[in-house]
Formats: sequence, structure tokens, C-alpha cells
Amino acid sequence: MTGREPTKGTVILPAYNEADRLPDVLGGISSCNLGLEVVVIDDGSHDATAATARAHGATVISHPLNLGYGAALQTGYKYALRTQTGFLVQMDADGQHDPSQIPLLVEPLLRGECDLVIGSRFAEETGYKMGAFRSIGRRVMTGVAHLAGLQVTDPTSGFQAMNRSMLERYASGDFPADYPDVDVLIRAHWGGCKVLERSVEMSESLRASTLHGGTRSFYYAYRMILSLLGAAFARRSA
Amino acid sequence: MTSKISIEELRDLFLSAPESDATRWIGIFLSLALVSVVLWLVSRRSLREELTPIWMGAALAFVVVSVEPRALFALTRAIGAWTPSSTLFFLGEFFLLVICLNYAVRISRAGDQIRCLAQEVALLRTELDQRTRPDTVSVERPGS
Repeated sequence: MTGREPTKGTVILPAYNEADRLPDVLGGISSCNLGLEVVVIDDGSHDATAATARAHGATVISHPLNLGYGAALQTGYKYALRTQTGFLVQMDADGQHDPSQIPLLVEPLLRGECDLVIGSRFAEETGYKMGAFRSIGRRVMTGVAHLAGLQVTDPTSGFQAMNRSMLERYASGDFPADYPDVDVLIRAHWGGCKVLERSVEMSESLRASTLHGGTRSFYYAYRMILSLLGAAFARRSA
Repeated sequence: MTSKISIEELRDLFLSAPESDATRWIGIFLSLALVSVVLWLVSRRSLREELTPIWMGAALAFVVVSVEPRALFALTRAIGAWTPSSTLFFLGEFFLLVICLNYAVRISRAGDQIRCLAQEVALLRTELDQRTRPDTVSVERPGS
């Protein structure tokens, strides 16, 4: 599935009520002069997320209602497929990801070495601190990924870059609307996609609640297990 | 002086109890009421025709059991229950579980369709915005 890609790329940022943080994030991307189209997917925000993004020069896609983080990502994939973009970078809109590290993720794609690059906090020692509960969850998910044959250290990272083959896979398939994480990666790996990691530095999320925090962790773990069992069943049936 | 009765004899006693005409008529009345409610909901467009067969089937089954209860008695003996009413409750609960699962599947499908529609609306709105602002990138429709 790998191959030489055209160079034009797109950065997508799913955003829900991120009007406060978007100016810094978009300003950071702009100051890197990467020449990429920046697309903010406003997932039914109640604040001025869309207006803020527009004011900072981003293309804005506004969901008419809140569909979830995964659905917002998928909208970005669908948009990118309709343009002539050669690759896509996804980042969080809360400032956790450093836009100056986008080239690190994109280079392997441009060299045709892989279909998907994950920005990993743990491929090398970067000093990233994670809460004890989330850390256990990450280790479990990493172990699950290893069992599935996918050698990654940070399967829950939202900082990723992918080529058009991955976009087509994610845009057309049953991409989860809520938590697209290790299950999606494993499905892609089983589907023949080549996944690489690059070490990146990240700051801790400034959000009061994260996708994997608090009581959501239990549902998240349950969802991952169920999804993986479904994927394994489908793989065995195929 | 006390007489002893075995469990099997006690169960046979339960199953040999005469069928009450009142129970039978109540069963028929409730079945017809269910059919009437279904037809009324369809006439008001509150219930789609494609969802009615399972309710009509349930009403028909209830009529059959009310008019001719021997099938229910036979089933009660076969599954080891003590009374036909227990069998009815068991079947009713199983029926409701199947119905709930069926609706969960329908809701999931409807949720996926709503998500796709909402995404398409968002993408088309963006495309419209971009067409009214010619300095921005153009977006190709699928298949174009």
C-alpha cells in the first residue's frame, strides 16, 4: 500500500469548545510555515470555536451537532479525500501537540516507508508525565497492540500522519465515532497497512477531562476489548 | 392422618387444572386490543408498516394460545415448567429481549446514518462557503 505521495498536505484539528486554545495552536502551526492547509472540524461547539478558527485563516467544517471525537476525525478524512491532498496530519486542538514536529511525522510518508506515522511520547525518553491510572491503561493497550503484532509504544496518541491509502480506509470503513485508538490501529495493521512511530515531545493536555480519564476509562477499556474481539472474529471469519 | 404427594404428582395436578373461560376471553380481548392499537398507530403514521409484523405475530400467537391452550400445556410439560402462565411469562420475557436487541441494532444503524448525514451536511456547507470565496481551495465531490 505504500508509495510515493504528492507533497501537498492537510492538517486537521477536531475541536469541541476550544475557542480559548485555538489561537495559540493555529498561530503555532502558521509560524512553522509548513505550507499545509489547516482544517478545524468544529464538532458542534457551543462557543466561538468556528469563528476563532476562521479568523486565524483555517478552513472550518462545522458539524450541525456534536458527533464525537472519532466522527470529527473522520469528517476531516473525508474532506481531505475530496481535495488533492497527498497526506494528512491530525493534531489535538488543545495545544498538546507541537506543530514544529509535523515534519518528523511526514517525512517517512513522503519517502513511501509507511502508510501511517504515530507521534509517540514513549518511543524515547521525553519526560512526558502521565497519571498512574492512564499510564496503566496505556501499558495495557500497548500490550494488546504487541499481542496483535503491532509494535508501537503509544497507541493512544492522537498526533498522527497518514497517506491517502489510510484516508480511504478510515473514511469508508466503520470508523468509531467516539474513541478511535488501538483497535483502529490494529485493524489497519491486520489490513496490511504499515505503521511506524516517531518520537515526539508533547505537553500534557490542558483539558479538564480527557478521552481516557476518569470513569470514561472503564468504558474506554470495555470498548477497546469489544472492538478488538469483533475485529478478531471478523478476521477469522474472512 | 396426612397423605403424601410427590413433586411429579403435584406438577401434574397444576397442569391438569381446568382452563378458565374468563382467562381465554381475556386473552382474546387483549390480542384484539393489541391488533387495534397497532392499526391505529399505523393509521396515524406513528408506526411504520415494516415494524408491525412482529406485533401482529405476537397478537396472533396470543389468540392461538387463548383459543387452543393444549399447545401451551404441551410446551409447559416439555420445558419442565409447572404452570402455563409461567411458560407465557418466560416466552414473553424472551420475546421482549429479542425485540430490545432488534431495536438496538436499528438504533445503531440509524445512528451511523445520522452521523454520515451530519458529516455530509458539514462538508457541503464548507464547500458552499469555499465556492463563495474563490480564493480558497476547491473541493471535489466524490466521483467527479
